[in-house]
Amino acid sequence: MTFKKISIACSFATFGLYAVLIVSLFYFFRRETLLDTLLSERTLFSIRLSVVAATISTLLSILIAIPSAFALSRYDFLGKRAVDTILELPMIVSPAALGAMLLIFFNNPLGLWIQDHGAQFVFTFYGIVLAQFVTICGVSTRLIKAAMDEIPVRYEAVARTLGASPAKAFLTITLPLSRRGIYAACILSWAKALGEFGATITIAGSMAMKTETLPIAIFMRLSSAEIEGTVILILILVSIGLSILYIVRLLSRGSSYA
Amino acid sequence: MLEVHGLSVRAGDFLLSDVSLTVQKSSCHVILGPTGSGKTLLLESVIGLRKPDKGKVLVDGNEITYLSIEKKKLSYVPQDLALFPHMTVRENILYPIRIRRSSQDTENGIMRKLVDSLGIRHILDRQIRNLSGGERQRTALARAVVSGCKHLVLDEPLSSLHESLKKELWYLLNDLQRRYDLAILMVTHDLEEAFFLGDTISIIIDGMLHQQSRKREIYGHPQSIEVARFLGVGNLFRARIPPITGNPFTVYCEELASTLRLSTHRRTSAVTENNEFFVGIRSEDVVIPTQGGLSPNTTNII
Repeated sequence: MTFKKISIACSFATFGLYAVLIVSLFYFFRRETLLDTLLSERTLFSIRLSVVAATISTLLSILIAIPSAFALSRYDFLGKRAVDTILELPMIVSPAALGAMLLIFFNNPLGLWIQDHGAQFVFTFYGIVLAQFVTICGVSTRLIKAAMDEIPVRYEAVARTLGASPAKAFLTITLPLSRRGIYAACILSWAKALGEFGATITIAGSMAMKTETLPIAIFMRLSSAEIEGTVILILILVSIGLSILYIVRLLSRGSSYA
Repeated sequence: MLEVHGLSVRAGDFLLSDVSLTVQKSSCHVILGPTGSGKTLLLESVIGLRKPDKGKVLVDGNEITYLSIEKKKLSYVPQDLALFPHMTVRENILYPIRIRRSSQDTENGIMRKLVDSLGIRHILDRQIRNLSGGERQRTALARAVVSGCKHLVLDEPLSSLHESLKKELWYLLNDLQRRYDLAILMVTHDLEEAFFLGDTISIIIDGMLHQQSRKREIYGHPQSIEVARFLGVGNLFRARIPPITGNPFTVYCEELASTLRLSTHRRTSAVTENNEFFVGIRSEDVVIPTQGGLSPNTTNII
């Protein structure tokens, strides 16, 4: 067997693993439960809550990620390495630990002061948004930085010799050239936020019709042995996720400017 | 006028040391040197992409060394041209005008003149990725000139073109320089290009400015072996003035076992009785005699 064939076989094995997991869902799929589950008030609430929270947390993270990514991509500054390293924190720390860190923070004097004088985060919608934001902020910064790293610095240098200030060069050159990377970061962050479970359940709890996002709804249905309903919710999450990834692939075609 | 005084800049282990030069109004100053000699580093320090460790840059007598890049008023065309890939040719050319929010009339007036003189009217609405090499160079030059800066800094902008197109663009650049009164500081490693476009030439080798003079002078009188070799003089022989004659126009070359007569305009100040120096013989000055005998212009027979 040639190396080429072995490597292709490995890629199909990976595909097969995930395909088997998805196909096995249909063993418990019942057509009659599809509409009942899909149109139940609780499911629709979970979908709505997940979509709204993921959209807000994605917008917030992108707003911070764009300037942060530009700074990390273009400037040398004191503490750059520390900032760059900590972006991976959500990937190396488990989501549950991340949620626990948030919960502990809101129980120390500063966190309590914020809760008293600002918004309530523990067991609320804001907690869901915060948990998702903390999980995706590092990822979206990393993705946008990768897109900006691909754009030669020379474009900005030339724009500045032609009269553009650093801000104008960023707005007219770097930002439009990295737009595909930013779209991809938005969509992937949104998909990750939509599926976020560990941090969300730790800080926002699992209250039905209050903090029950789609992944929490899956967990709760499984806990109460409602397998058919769980399958429908998983299929909804998988369909949204795969559609999003397909869009990302379309967007990231031909994005290199180097 | 663009002046550089005693500019030194370090990049890692490489040091560009104590470079001074002047680009007169409506003239072209070419920096010539082998790859890795520090030419691009010099340009990047002049336009402000790198902070020099020492030295000053002046435009029309005003120091601009530490001004921000956009305030220096030096148009820069890098080796890869850096045409903005998300814009059309028209948008690229108009970028400096739009960024400065000049009026529509200015925009139209400048565009009309420049676009016609560069012959790029037919490609104005094309995307950058659809341009040929020559069209890209013309667009980059147009964008640099449109900015209104009278000082152009060019980093080997024609290096990627094939010979015939390159020569066509030499004439075009010459024409632009005259038409718009431009002072051009240009880097190249192409001798022919340097001697065609340059009024003054500076030769940089290993981060050191070895020689700077008018082009005729630099061709005839390289002041160091490195410069001579870089200018293509492969035949270099140690020589001295024979003590018997003391005549500075006659030198003795031991390696050739010959006495050579020097023409007056080829002699440099280094040729004195007390100095040992090198005589360079260009291949184009060597003639192999045929049956017809020697040419009346023959100076030396080896």
